[in-house]
This record gives sequence, structure tokens and C-alpha cells, in this order.
Amino acid sequence: MDNSISINLNSGNNSMDSLTFYWMAEFNNGVIFQFEDGKEHKFQEVLDRINELEFFHLYHKDGMNNINFIVDLRKGLIKTLDSQEPETVEVKENIRLIYFRRIKIQIGEHDLKEKSRAVNYHLGFQYNDKLGNNRRIVLIIDEQGNWILGDN
Amino acid sequence: MSATHEFSESNLVGEVVMDGITNLNFGSVDDHDLSTTTYPILRGSSSFEKYLRCKFTGVYSIISNMKFWKSAGTLVTGETIKAATNQVYTQPSATANGDSDVPVTEGAALTLQSAEGEATIVYGASGVSGYTKYVRLQLQTTVSTPSGAVNQKTFVFQYDEV
Repeated sequence: MDNSISINLNSGNNSMDSLTFYWMAEFNNGVIFQFEDGKEHKFQEVLDRINELEFFHLYHKDGMNNINFIVDLRKGLIKTLDSQEPETVEVKENIRLIYFRRIKIQIGEHDLKEKSRAVNYHLGFQYNDKLGNNRRIVLIIDEQGNWILGDN
Repeated sequence: MSATHEFSESNLVGEVVMDGITNLNFGSVDDHDLSTTTYPILRGSSSFEKYLRCKFTGVYSIISNMKFWKSAGTLVTGETIKAATNQVYTQPSATANGDSDVPVTEGAALTLQSAEGEATIVYGASGVSGYTKYVRLQLQTTVSTPSGAVNQKTFVFQYDEV
């Protein structure tokens, strides 16, 4: 299947400076961009249609380095836009999206202005393997697009 | 867009709420944004308790996994910082309470609930205020605590958002 999607960066008049990556949800009967036609869709809209979700994209808002992570919820894969899929993929059951931003704010006792603020995007999925065990695969992605394979 | 947050402190018998506080100084008065020079804590005494909350505004879907801990700031001899989470507000006291020491690692962090007692804060849901429950903090000293200013502490507030 051709998973190529033209990314819509039309973000209208919303203030989005606080976000580095935007999401795009590809359902079996349509697509929702986080920002389109001048308005923001809440992630709740994805949750409301989670059983129809096939692919979930996370891409850099400025297109930096063409960073675009894709979670394939049909096969249970995480890939980038130009990566090749493996020929064989372990059969996975009950594949569920994992996506959130973790915000870590450090403050000083004498001055509550933020001393540091770190935002990491957690992206992946959990599934049941053939023995029924629940497993999680999560990338932790920083705002520069660096990522590690995390465990939560 | 994403959620924005600010810290809020409550004081006095009738609970005076002050959003957007600028410091978390411990002192000998039940007030927010206090000056430690004006209201120092005497050796062997405790500060007035601080009832701290976070308040979320802006646009978001769900806030969850809210945690609080101390990440830096060496305690001097006899100095401890006590902390308890998900407290009901009562008038702050300067009597040493029996709360636990504030955690100093993420793994031991205090877990915060919403003001409504839920693990998550759902944007726009009926009856949701955007506040967390209270974290109660108190700085306690002993007579062996050296005089003079103590070290500044660094705290971490962490949450997950979609």
C-alpha cells in the first residue's frame, strides 16, 4: 500500500508555537490533520474513532529533515516516511496506539519562572503477542527529532 | 496548541486563592510570594505550610500522569522539606506536621490528581476546574540548623498531555 500523504501545513490563525510536531491520523475512511482549515482538531477526535485508525503520523511542523514517524496500526510497525518495511512481521493482536507529550518543568523555589522545560513525544503502540502477553514499543522523541526506544 | 499552566497557592482561614504565584518561598507568615528576609524561619521552627496547586488553561484534550518532586537543592543540617499530595485545604499551620520528606527522584515522585479527584484532567468536561489537588509543603528545621539562608531548592512538575 502506498502510505504517502501530502502533509498539510495550513494551520490557520492558531498559535502553535508550543508544539514542535503535529499529528495526522489516517482512518479507514478518512484523514484528520491536527491543524487544517484554520482550526485545530483535538486528539480526543482520534480517540473517539480509535477503532477506525490505521496509521498515525507525527511530523515536524516546519518539515525539518522530513521527520515523519508513522505508526502502522494494522501491522504493528513504527517507520519513517522513507523506510522500507520488513518482509515478514510478527503477527500482533489488539494493536493500540500510544501517543502523548511528556512535559517536564523545573522551577526554582525563589522564582517559579521555568528553569527548564523539556518536551518529549512518546509514540508507539502496544499489542498482544501470540502467547497473549501485552507488549509495548515506544519511541521517545525530543524536539530536535532525536529519538530513543523507550520503555514507557 | 497545548495546555499552559501556572502555580496557585491558597492561604488563610477562608482560603484565599492566588493564581500565578511567582515564588515558593517558605517563611514565618501564611502568605504567598513572601520575602524570606521579612519573614525568616527561626532555628528549631517550621515554616507555615504551603498549599500548592497547578492550574491548566489553554486548549488540550487530556492531562494525566501528574508528578511532583524535588530535583536539586542540598538540605543543610537539620533542614527537611515535608510534602503530602492530594490534600484537602485547611488553614496553613506553622506547627511541624508529620508528612513525609519530599521525594527527590522521579521514581518516588508524588502523584497528583485533579481537583475533582480524578487521575486525569479532561478539557471541557463538566465540572472540571483545571486545577490539581493540593500539594502541602513545609520546611522544618531543628536547633542544629545553621543560621542564615538555606540553599534554594529546585522542584519538578511533570505531566503527560494529548
